[in-house]
Amino acid sequence: MIPGKPTRETSPPHPLDKVMPLSAALAPLQPGMRLMLGEFVGAGEPVACVRWLLDSALDELTLIANTPGLRGGFLKALLFDSGQIREYIGTHVGTTEQSTAAYLENRVLVREFFPMGTWAEKVRAGAMGLGGILVPVGVGILDQPGLFPDLPTAKQTLDLNGQRYFVEPALTADVSIIKGWRADRLGNIEFRGTSTQNQRDIAMAGRYTVAEVNEIVEVGEIPPERVGCPGVFVNAVVQGVSLAEQHELYRQHWVKLGRLHAPTAAV
Amino acid sequence: MTSLKDRIARRCAQELHAGQVVNLGLGIPTLVANHLSPDAAVIFHSENGVFGFGPKPDYHHADSDFTNAGCEPITLPAGAALMDLATSLGAMRNGYIDVTILGALEVDAAGNIANWATRRAGRWWPGIGGAMDLCYGTPTVIAALQHTDTHGRPKVRHRCTLPLTGAGCVKLIVTELAVFDVLPGGGLFLRDLQEGATLEQVRNSTEADFTVAETVLAGNTVAECV
Repeated sequence: MIPGKPTRETSPPHPLDKVMPLSAALAPLQPGMRLMLGEFVGAGEPVACVRWLLDSALDELTLIANTPGLRGGFLKALLFDSGQIREYIGTHVGTTEQSTAAYLENRVLVREFFPMGTWAEKVRAGAMGLGGILVPVGVGILDQPGLFPDLPTAKQTLDLNGQRYFVEPALTADVSIIKGWRADRLGNIEFRGTSTQNQRDIAMAGRYTVAEVNEIVEVGEIPPERVGCPGVFVNAVVQGVSLAEQHELYRQHWVKLGRLHAPTAAV
Repeated sequence: MTSLKDRIARRCAQELHAGQVVNLGLGIPTLVANHLSPDAAVIFHSENGVFGFGPKPDYHHADSDFTNAGCEPITLPAGAALMDLATSLGAMRNGYIDVTILGALEVDAAGNIANWATRRAGRWWPGIGGAMDLCYGTPTVIAALQHTDTHGRPKVRHRCTLPLTGAGCVKLIVTELAVFDVLPGGGLFLRDLQEGATLEQVRNSTEADFTVAETVLAGNTVAECV
């Protein structure tokens, strides 16, 4: 089923090797599909996969992501300009200029905004095989008439133990793309720092999941207790930019946005 | 000279105490950290999954996997703890954050706050993010905002007109002119005037009714005599 394709000629092919080139890994993604992406305001984005998507002819996609990304024309945000996204399901459209324009000019459908905790739990429900969740946040506020005119039906509520909740269906995707630090050839993923996010849940909520990482290591190099997303939830592993390149990409963008001082020439 | 925003941030900082878990929203609230002493022992939380993060690093120490909720570089000093997104938002919903300081488009006498949506091209923009979870679950919500908008209209309203972020959740309102407590059951109480502000100024630029602390009345009289 899984086309094994070791990238290092020195290592013998592992029977369960999930490492493959980008184009092979993303071949199952077709126009019109639901695509879920790991990120948080642009942090933890799968850089190589987003670049590949931008170069592809894939369109009519439903993008499920926490936010549209980071302002200043950074990576995923450009998908809102390229005409490839039909609908966006997330918490916010204002984090990038591209998503704001696409939303206000009616180029991308946004039926409603979710509180971030609600969005995260909807994804988690999809990951864990649940039909949905009960959420108290926003009851009496987000169900006000006229707030979200593109919603086909009113938001459903349920009373339980004296409290009113929204009934929020699970979110799932045809294809999920997550970003990790290291992967072994079985697809076991190790995350770094705050980029853990809900990448594991996103992996589990996709029918088919691609993991992009900075570094691919041999099986056994990631201690089992450091595996943040078991390879069982991953169908394909792709080599992304190195960690050093990733740091440089973000540092330069932070300087551009005035969030970091440029290094002095003396260094 | 202190900017209006820094004056608001500095006053908010006085409300924070050692050991509290604090989430600072974007804008004016972010400035609050600049007005705390390094030994303030406040535990800062960021939505994307961290307790106890530290200040911004320099260029060569900026790590693209160590970021805050606005995707700015942070540091993770000793004692910091990471968690996944669902845990972080669960902590917000379930009352594990003691204090949140949020910017606001409007606040009102009932402790309502509106900060996620304005009307643009016939639609509500820009979106909710983590603010609604914070308003729902945090025992102490402090609204930090300028007293009037860019057109000079009061932002401390009798009732909010914009879509709410939280209902009846605001405990304290801090502006460049005034500090109001939101009383249990509703109603504003002018606890403090900011340095240089007068009661008259506050009355003229506040839509909501409010009662005034004796100390403010006394101090204001003195100030008017000077």
